[in-house]
Amino acid sequence: MSEINIVEKSQVSSGAVMLFCFPDVGLVGVIAASHLIEELDLAEVAQVESSLLPPLIVLHEGLPHSSLRIFGNRDALLVVSETPVPAELVYMVVDALVDWGRKKKVKMMISMSGIPVQDRQDLKELKVFAAASSANMLETVKAKGVEGLMEGYLVGPQAIMLMRCAQYGLPAVALVAQCFLNYPDPEAAAEVLKSLEKLMGLKVDTAKLLEKGEEIRLKARDVMKRTQEEMSNMKKSQEYDIPMYVS
Amino acid sequence: MMSIKRRRSAADDFDSFFEDLRSEVEEWRNKLVERPSWNLKASTIEPLSDLIVAPTEVVVTVDLPFTRESTLQVKAVGEDALEVSAKMKRKMTFKDMGMIHQVGEFQKFHFLSRIPVPVQMKKMKIRFKKGILEVHLPRKSGHFEGRT
Repeated sequence: MSEINIVEKSQVSSGAVMLFCFPDVGLVGVIAASHLIEELDLAEVAQVESSLLPPLIVLHEGLPHSSLRIFGNRDALLVVSETPVPAELVYMVVDALVDWGRKKKVKMMISMSGIPVQDRQDLKELKVFAAASSANMLETVKAKGVEGLMEGYLVGPQAIMLMRCAQYGLPAVALVAQCFLNYPDPEAAAEVLKSLEKLMGLKVDTAKLLEKGEEIRLKARDVMKRTQEEMSNMKKSQEYDIPMYVS
Repeated sequence: MMSIKRRRSAADDFDSFFEDLRSEVEEWRNKLVERPSWNLKASTIEPLSDLIVAPTEVVVTVDLPFTRESTLQVKAVGEDALEVSAKMKRKMTFKDMGMIHQVGEFQKFHFLSRIPVPVQMKKMKIRFKKGILEVHLPRKSGHFEGRT
């Protein structure tokens, strides 16, 4: 028995785009995922189970669920974690998810996350950047109007997803929106969804997300707090570092 | 009335030492022991916060979504602590936040933070933008804590 198991609950379509949304800076991915699930009416199709994960379940309508689940429809498979994945398990969890995605013949993997920026509250417009698994993919992304993240560091599940996809020759993109480091950022989530729309042609109305922004910030407080602890274990602040390019 | 200035005795030093120790232990206890981020008796929620010690100032930021700005209060507690409180635009219940196994409501944020280096509390400057409170506290000169 593998240490990380992905248990399917219903038929999973082949050839979809696989989206990765993990708790991270500004909770950008998780907020975006929650909005996508609601807007696209995505159903839970699988869940990740492992005795290595913290002994925690999420209760929804009185029933137990894994905190790490996959939602989907014919076109998209969305991986979302409601609690931060412990730093020491990131490789194992992401490897299992990427392998599962390859078996499902996903045509592309896209992660949605944030990149912290100082004086975030003074920014009128938030930029979204993309890192890609190959030069071709990077060109495609830029042609669709998303700026490339050319130098720097990525830390966390999206970093491992991108690296694995590059190794396997699977098209992948890591989308990161400028955001608060330590505070939930629904505006950044809305921006990352706009870029997803550019890449996938997926129409998502973000008006409701922005309207409920303050409420989301309030509700996401505790998850953000837990995420801060894990980000610290992962040395997430390295994304602030000035890169030293070694050719 | 004649004021009598008592010299600082060894007992005073002991008291001061144990008082410092007690407050350090309390701080660690708060860090190590998990507790909810809300207080039902006071109907308060503890907001997310961050503290940066820069070379010339300490910057404390506090995330205060849903806040009625006119009710925001920031005050110094002695020389080394900061207390923030603010009323919310409307009461929030546990049910509003998706929990029905708890009963209670919140109408205020409350936050208390210890400032780790000496600062000039009287020169405190505050800014509130997009629901984020920013408190700037100039550091006292001659109290550089880092290594040179």
